[in-house]
Parts: sequence; C-alpha cells; structure tokens
Amino acid sequence: MTAIYKKELKAYFTSMIGCVFLAIMLIIIGIYFFVVNLLSMVSDFSVTLNAITFLIILIIPIITMRILAEENRQKTDQLLLTSPVSIGKIVMGKYLALITLFGIGMVIICAYPAIMKMYGEADLGEAYSSILGFFLMGASYIAIGMFISSLTESQVIAAVISFIVMIFTYIMTNLTNLLPTDNVSVWVIMGVIVAVISAIAHLMMHKVAVTAGIFVAGEAACAVVYFVEPSLYDGLINNIAGWFSVVDRYRDFSLGIMNVTSLVYYLSVIFVFLFLTVMRIKKKRWS
Amino acid sequence: MIEVRNLVKDYYGHVAVNDLSFTVDDGEVVGFLGPNGAGKSTTMNIITGYISATSGQAIVNGFDVFEEPEKAKKSIGYLPEQPPLYPDMKVKEYLNFVAELKKVKKSEKAKMIKDIMQLTKIEDVSGRLIKYLSKGYKQRVGLAGAIIGYPEVLILDEPTVGLDPNQIIEIRELIKSLSTKHTILLSSHIMQEVSAVCDKIIIINNGELVAYDTPARIAKVMEESRELIVTVKAGEASVKRIIATLDGIREIEYSAGDNEDETRINIKTEDNCDIREALFFAMANEGLPIIEMKQHEVTLEEIFLALTKGGSDQNVRRKTIDKLNRGEVDE
Repeated sequence: MTAIYKKELKAYFTSMIGCVFLAIMLIIIGIYFFVVNLLSMVSDFSVTLNAITFLIILIIPIITMRILAEENRQKTDQLLLTSPVSIGKIVMGKYLALITLFGIGMVIICAYPAIMKMYGEADLGEAYSSILGFFLMGASYIAIGMFISSLTESQVIAAVISFIVMIFTYIMTNLTNLLPTDNVSVWVIMGVIVAVISAIAHLMMHKVAVTAGIFVAGEAACAVVYFVEPSLYDGLINNIAGWFSVVDRYRDFSLGIMNVTSLVYYLSVIFVFLFLTVMRIKKKRWS
Repeated sequence: MIEVRNLVKDYYGHVAVNDLSFTVDDGEVVGFLGPNGAGKSTTMNIITGYISATSGQAIVNGFDVFEEPEKAKKSIGYLPEQPPLYPDMKVKEYLNFVAELKKVKKSEKAKMIKDIMQLTKIEDVSGRLIKYLSKGYKQRVGLAGAIIGYPEVLILDEPTVGLDPNQIIEIRELIKSLSTKHTILLSSHIMQEVSAVCDKIIIINNGELVAYDTPARIAKVMEESRELIVTVKAGEASVKRIIATLDGIREIEYSAGDNEDETRINIKTEDNCDIREALFFAMANEGLPIIEMKQHEVTLEEIFLALTKGGSDQNVRRKTIDKLNRGEVDE
C-alpha cells in the first residue's frame, strides 16, 4: 500500500498535474480570501469557502481522471494486480495519495483564519469547522472521481463524466424542488428506476432469468407498497435525490455546526465509492 | 511448480481456454506454443491471477491462485505481452517501485536491483525515463521487473517479441541462465526459440491442449513422416525391381521425374533404418545413375503446423495426438 501511495504522490509532482491542481486551488481561494475577507473586511472565512465550492468541484476531476484510467490504458494494472497486494490496498493507496494532495491545499488554507485573527476578530471555530467540512466534501468528490476513473481507459472520458456527475450533485438541491411529490408520480418514477436497475444488471451479468427476476420482484414490491401504504411514497423521490446532494451537507459545517449525520454521510459516501471501485476492478477480472 | 487443472475461460460464448490441464515441475523450462488467439496469454493471465477462470484450478508453488492469491502471487514473476511500464518513471525508480510492491526487504533491495540490472544489461539506462527507451530496452526492463524478488516461478509472455536478432540471442541466454534457479513458463510462436531454450513444449490450439512433451519426443512422433526423395535415371519398372530387393521400406511412391527418362521415388522407411547406402549400391550394381537423393528432415515448424492447422494434415495431426495419448512414444 505504501509503495503505491508513494508512487502516486510522486507521479503528481513529477508530471506537474499535482502542482497545477494545488496552484489553481490556492489561487482561487487566495483571490476570494483577499476580496471577500480582506478587502470587504468580512471576518467570516466560511463565506469565502461557500463562494468557491463550485469551482473546487470543477478542478477535482483534474487529479482523479488519471488515477485508474491511465493504469488501464498503459496495461500497468497487470503489474499491480499480479503483485502480492490486495485490490483493496491498491485502491486505498491511490485514494490516500489523492487525499494527501488535496489535504496539502487545505493545510495551507488553515493559515488564513489565523492571519485574520492576528489583525482583528475572527471566529476560529466556525472557520476551521468549515475547512473540515470542505475537506470532507472534497474527499467525497475524490472518491466519486476515482470510481469514475476506474470505469474507463480514457482520461478525457473519465474527466467529462466526473464533471457531469459532480455538477449534477451540485444542482441536485434545486432539482429536487421541481420533482413531483404525489404518490402516483413517485410510483411511476420508482417503476422506471427498477427497470433501469434491471437493465444495468442484465448488462453486467448477461443472465435473462436474473434480470427478469429483479424486474418482476422490484415492480411487484413497488406496487405492493403503493396499495398497502401509499403514504410511504410521499416526498420519497425528493428524499432519495437529497442523498445525492453532496454539497448540501457542507452547509452545516459552514455554519459552525459539527453535525454527526453530515460527518457520517461523508464517510459513507467515501466508503461506498471506494468499495464500488474495488468491486469494479474485481468485476473486470471476471468478464 | 505450476499446476493447471481443467482450466476453462468462457467470454460469454467465446471459449478462449477449454479444459486445459498441465503441470510444470520445479526447475523446468516449458515453452507454451500456439498460433495467435490460441489462448496462451489468457492462460498466463489466469495463472498469474490477473483474470479469473470460469472453472478449474491454477496452483502455483502449492498455493491456489484464486484462494490464496497473495501467497501465490508472491512466488510469481510475470512479464505480460506488453511490459507494464510507467513511461514517466526512470528505470531505477521503476524497479524500486516493483521491489516495494513485491515486499522485498529494505536491506536486500539495493543490492537486488543492482544485480538484476547487471543481469538484464540495463545498467547504462538506469537513469533514463522509460518513455525514451527503445523497444528492446523496454522489454528488458519489463523482464528485470519480473525477476525482482527472485520468485520461484517466472511466467514470460513472448519475451523476445520485437527484438532484433542479437537481442533475441541475449534474452535467450538470459532465460537459460535463469532456468538454473527458476521454474519458467514462456510463450512464443517461434519454434526455434522454444526448441533452443525449453525442456518441454506445450502446444495449444483453440484453447485446447494439442501436445505436451519434450521437443525431441514430439519430433520423434513425426519421424515416421520423414522421407527420402530419390531421382533415378531409369524407367519405373527397373527401379521397382531393384527397390523390391531392399529391406526396411515402409511406404513407397513413384512418380515421373523432371526429364522423361527419370523416375522420382518418395520412400518412407521403418524407424531407425537408413537405407541410403544400400540403395546407392543396389542402383550402382545395375548401372542406374542416382541423379538426386535427399533426406527430408521434419522440423519443429512442420510439426507445429501439422498439429495446429488441421486441414490436409488433419490425419497426421490426429495420428500424432493418438500416439501421444496412448503413450506409445518413448525415448
């Protein structure tokens, strides 16, 4: 694991991608810090971070796009997967390298609230809580980006899909307001979701019986819930969509609230996507 | 030791490897031969744990690759068809990474990398970026990576492909020198290479085992098709009369020669029977001049073609397999 961790971290700094990523991130945060906090004399650092959330989402794919796609393309995954290291450790080593890179930027940012404190009043608790939240949000997006990178051999495709997914999660909060909340529409949407899941299952397993089983069982379950307890469907789609809104959870942190649910949420997103990455690599061996 | 039992790999209807079983004993060098798409790389990828089998077992050094992957992989050094190199790394840096990946002890690492670079003759490029190396050097760096950690088993997928003749000889020598300490399974579609380096040959076609034996014994099976081609300046009738007096002839075929008064004879003799001398004197006594006499040796190439192609050689192929299966051939 340490071998892969060291190799990845080194690769980011020999190929300049790491330096460019850190430079862009620090320039963006620096400009906002200067304009929002110093020029306008606002002591609240979380305002700065809130303003740049979207930009950070845009630059995360720069570092995640190559992490596994490049191994697939160069066939160097043959070296990793035939060496006496488990897939979990390979994925973990790579993830930790990405987190370290992102973390370096975050550690530098930690100096900014302290600078404000030196020359005036600043709420350090709120500032550092929002930095922690910001770091966790970035870490979640990195996990998502790494999973997407494992799906393809092309860095460009990985980057584009990552952008789309990340922007989608960003605007999810606004999207949920547009979705219908009445029982019948929710039932229909759930039915469509079940169909989509069966289609994906069919593409992965190529077994008609399994696909049909999932489809029939899923649709039946949806129908049963609708007729027995229709109130369960009230606002269900909005709740489900809310799970994907990674940015939403960050708002608690930026208010200075250390919310256990948000913390658990981020950690679970990271865990789920690391797990999916491991599964994806294992799956590739079987196809 | 490598043990492969009833290996099957099915890519959704396309069977790449079909019920393949063989054993490679400790210290042996075994050549894995087959035309493109025969399933060589697939089998090697399964043995090294890169892909999984649909069914069957692969056991390396006593560890099942699917059940105890880390222990099995620790005893394997693998050079895939395309060497798994990071173009942005320097050669030494790459070998260092491979050593760490294979959990080589820190105290031994520096010396091991130095020794292996010496062995594979890549010391002069140790500080260069891999992307700037020529194909031959890349191949050797890949081979060096496979040797790192001195695994008991080396699996080399077409180790000499893309090299110039000098480099091929060098790599072949290297493989020979490695064979004293390692069990080696190497794939190739070049016959000379395999017969020069290997103790045994596995021939597969369409994912199935066609033959598994020493190069000499496989050649021996084919010896029965060794032919003597003779052209005599005489009519067919007189030639027939003289040939009838000779012993040890199994099969004979007459045809017209290039000129009108010549007769060509294709003779297949019994095993270990050389009739050339007797034939010469018999003809000389009758005053019939032998214009041409040549022995057609069966090369491994022909065996290989005969075994894998089928078609017009289908009968030869079937006979050979039957013989091998019945164990009729002996040293």
